[in-house]
Amino acid sequence: MKKLLTIALMTVLYYSSYAQSDALQQAVTKLDQAQTVKDYLLLEKTFASASGQPAWLPPYYAALCNARIGFLLQDDGEKIEPYSDRGEAQAKQALSLLDSSKQHKELAEVYTVLSMVYRTKVFINPMTYGRKYGMLSQQLLDKALALDPQNPRALYVAAWVKYYTPKMWGGDKEQAKKLAGESLAKLTNPGTDVYPHWGRADDQLLLSKIK
Amino acid sequence: MKTGFIFLLFTAFAAGAQNKPATADTTVKSKRALHEVVVSAGSFEASDKAKGASLTPIDAVTVAGSNADITQALRSLPGAQQIGEQSGLFVRGGTGDETRQFIDGTLLKTPNYPSVPGIPQYARINPFLFKGILFSAGGYSALYGGAMSSALVMETTDLPEKTSASCSVFPSNLGAGFQHLADNNKSSYGANLNYSNQSLYNGVIPQKPDYYAGPAYADGNFNFRIRTGKTGMLKLYSNWTYSDVGMRNPDIDSSTLNSGYRVHGWNSYNNLSFRSLLDHNWKLEAGTVYSFNETATTTSLTDTKGAPVAAPIPGKNSSHLIRSDFAQARIVLTRFFSKGQALRIGGEHFYTHDKGHTNDTLLTLTDQLSAFFAEGDIYLAPNLAAKAGVRAEYSTVLRKAVVAPRLSMAYRLPDGSQFNVAYGIFYQEPLNDWLYLQRDLNFSSATHYVLNYTKKANNRFFRAELYYKQYKELIKTVPNLSNNGNGYAQGLELFWRDKKSIKNLDYWVSYTYLDTKRNDLNAPYTLRPAYTSPHTTTVAIKKFFQEISTSVNVSWAFAAGRPYYNINAGSISDQGTTKTYNIANLHIAYLCSFFKHRKWKDFSGFAVGVNNIFGTNQVFGYQYSANGMNKAAITLPATRGYFAGIFMSFGIDRTEDFLNTNL
Repeated sequence: MKKLLTIALMTVLYYSSYAQSDALQQAVTKLDQAQTVKDYLLLEKTFASASGQPAWLPPYYAALCNARIGFLLQDDGEKIEPYSDRGEAQAKQALSLLDSSKQHKELAEVYTVLSMVYRTKVFINPMTYGRKYGMLSQQLLDKALALDPQNPRALYVAAWVKYYTPKMWGGDKEQAKKLAGESLAKLTNPGTDVYPHWGRADDQLLLSKIK
Repeated sequence: MKTGFIFLLFTAFAAGAQNKPATADTTVKSKRALHEVVVSAGSFEASDKAKGASLTPIDAVTVAGSNADITQALRSLPGAQQIGEQSGLFVRGGTGDETRQFIDGTLLKTPNYPSVPGIPQYARINPFLFKGILFSAGGYSALYGGAMSSALVMETTDLPEKTSASCSVFPSNLGAGFQHLADNNKSSYGANLNYSNQSLYNGVIPQKPDYYAGPAYADGNFNFRIRTGKTGMLKLYSNWTYSDVGMRNPDIDSSTLNSGYRVHGWNSYNNLSFRSLLDHNWKLEAGTVYSFNETATTTSLTDTKGAPVAAPIPGKNSSHLIRSDFAQARIVLTRFFSKGQALRIGGEHFYTHDKGHTNDTLLTLTDQLSAFFAEGDIYLAPNLAAKAGVRAEYSTVLRKAVVAPRLSMAYRLPDGSQFNVAYGIFYQEPLNDWLYLQRDLNFSSATHYVLNYTKKANNRFFRAELYYKQYKELIKTVPNLSNNGNGYAQGLELFWRDKKSIKNLDYWVSYTYLDTKRNDLNAPYTLRPAYTSPHTTTVAIKKFFQEISTSVNVSWAFAAGRPYYNINAGSISDQGTTKTYNIANLHIAYLCSFFKHRKWKDFSGFAVGVNNIFGTNQVFGYQYSANGMNKAAITLPATRGYFAGIFMSFGIDRTEDFLNTNL
């Protein structure tokens, strides 16, 4: 009887975790389609309460949603901060769930998103937040690229930075084009599973601006 | 022009801010929750925490034409008058003396070089020293006093972000300085020297007064800052200045004589401040200041050859000297409570000792003024907050005590906009010039009522404010020195800032309506003061052209004519309204780097500027001869003002250090 109960319990646990993974997969699929602040707000809630496996992915995706919201709101400095703050906490949570000695590729993914989150803090008001967070953002991106030089998302963010930084501060549109092209080449078949695979549409959008 | 370089340097820094190293955050964290209602009636805050379209200190002080003087820069905000013939900030019907400046809580008694008739003088302290500027045009906090109209509350920067050195070369202004940040990022020291001599410039651009000395200004300052413990910050700032201005103008009472004016000024200002969290719920802020000021003024009547002439009218040959010691100590304790509530209690003491003479008359004055204050930030509802305070002051020279209540409230609407109301009584001692003559006087006072609406969204900022202000016990000098003066001011002010509509363009527009009258000093009856204009509009535009690394700053101000009077023997023999005031200023800076890819990166540029681009003839008022038959317009000393120069700043790139200590 005891054994049976254990098996039943295990089964329930297995299916509920499967169901959660399934929920995570569904949310990631939706994320691939998301475009508006409203979409990302809904998904952020989903990811923040999800508990799928691997454990670092839900907070990673929640942070990504908050970073996306910050980028979409970049001309509305008054509104950005709460999303940046949540994103920062979520990205740091994701980092804490990774083994920093082994999971280099995963770390690179999270650092890339944290770099984006800090970039959104710059949007709050470049004059006051730019100094600190612009630099933090750059340093995290450098870290991501050091851990995984081929990460297409880190390459995309690097391209974005090169494109939007004024020339005298190191901006370079040619370099941006090159980086976005490299990133795009690595995303010809990015897949659709729960593992981070976004970036293709972002590269295409950025490249369409560089003529 | 002494304006300039630092101003542009910082504009440039700001433009490049995104890739510059950051300051370690030593700020005592505020306990405010996000989206909380923040009480803000009557004031403009320019903070290094500004979000969206809120002002930053750099925004506020880099308005074209501000000559590196914070009070000049703030004239682009509503509430301030466009006064072009003297220093100071004239707010809502108040005189320049009714605005007081505070640095880290303590009073900056003589912010500008000694005054010269008809010509505003530079500020002694570089406005880029400040990371936070609160310009209150009314209803300010009980933590401050002694100003009937306006308080300018400024907070100095903490540690610099890196070790750096800078220099600038402008034809009439040379400057050099450095900042050294310790390797452990816990302390820093720095010093700056500036020397400005306008004689070369004035040789090229003729000035209306004939300057026979200077104008020359020298200042040296040094600072030391250290972090103590986790949240403590101890800062020392010391500033030493000297000035010499000598000029002649045609004498108004004769056709052949010249009227000379010469002023020497020596000043030292020393500020030591400390702040720290004591534990989780308590914060301590303390400050002391000692300043010394000496102003020696002589007026002289001379003939065409420069020989002295005995003056038939008194006051034309005079000498005036005042040595002033000033010290202040202040302590404020804050207890934090839940929901962003706080209680602040504190006290301060001001010591003033003046000694000097006017011609043969000795002048002395010693005053001890003590103040105690308490203020609470009170949470009433999620969208309703109040700040209530009281301030008590006792002055030994007046031998009187006053108690000033202050109250402001804020109500946040669902769309994020806010209504604010404020009320307060603001006491001020009569100026020392009157206290030298008579001690049996009272505090003058102004009672403020303010209603304000603000909305900030989408990188845009709208603000409207209505106020009424009642003056009591103003100083009258006629028929005898007394507190029998009174007056009122009321008005409407609008402000609009937009950083979003046009990419990389930031502009703001302000409108000030002012209705004010007062019966004070020698006015025979209640009059509109000569330093007030009923309508003022200002525009400030800042644009950074990324592709050519050039920043362009434009400012424009328009003010309806001001009243002027010739008051003679208790009656007005002539009066009128000046022509409208209309001025546009332009500053351009090109930013570059001469030495790339070295350990010491330089950050350099060229700057040019023109004040009063269109060469409009400005009339601020009139000067009358003793018999009232002759009057001369008070105008700008030269139609336009120009500057051009080069600046450089070198800094050690310490990005790596930062990475290692902060991540």
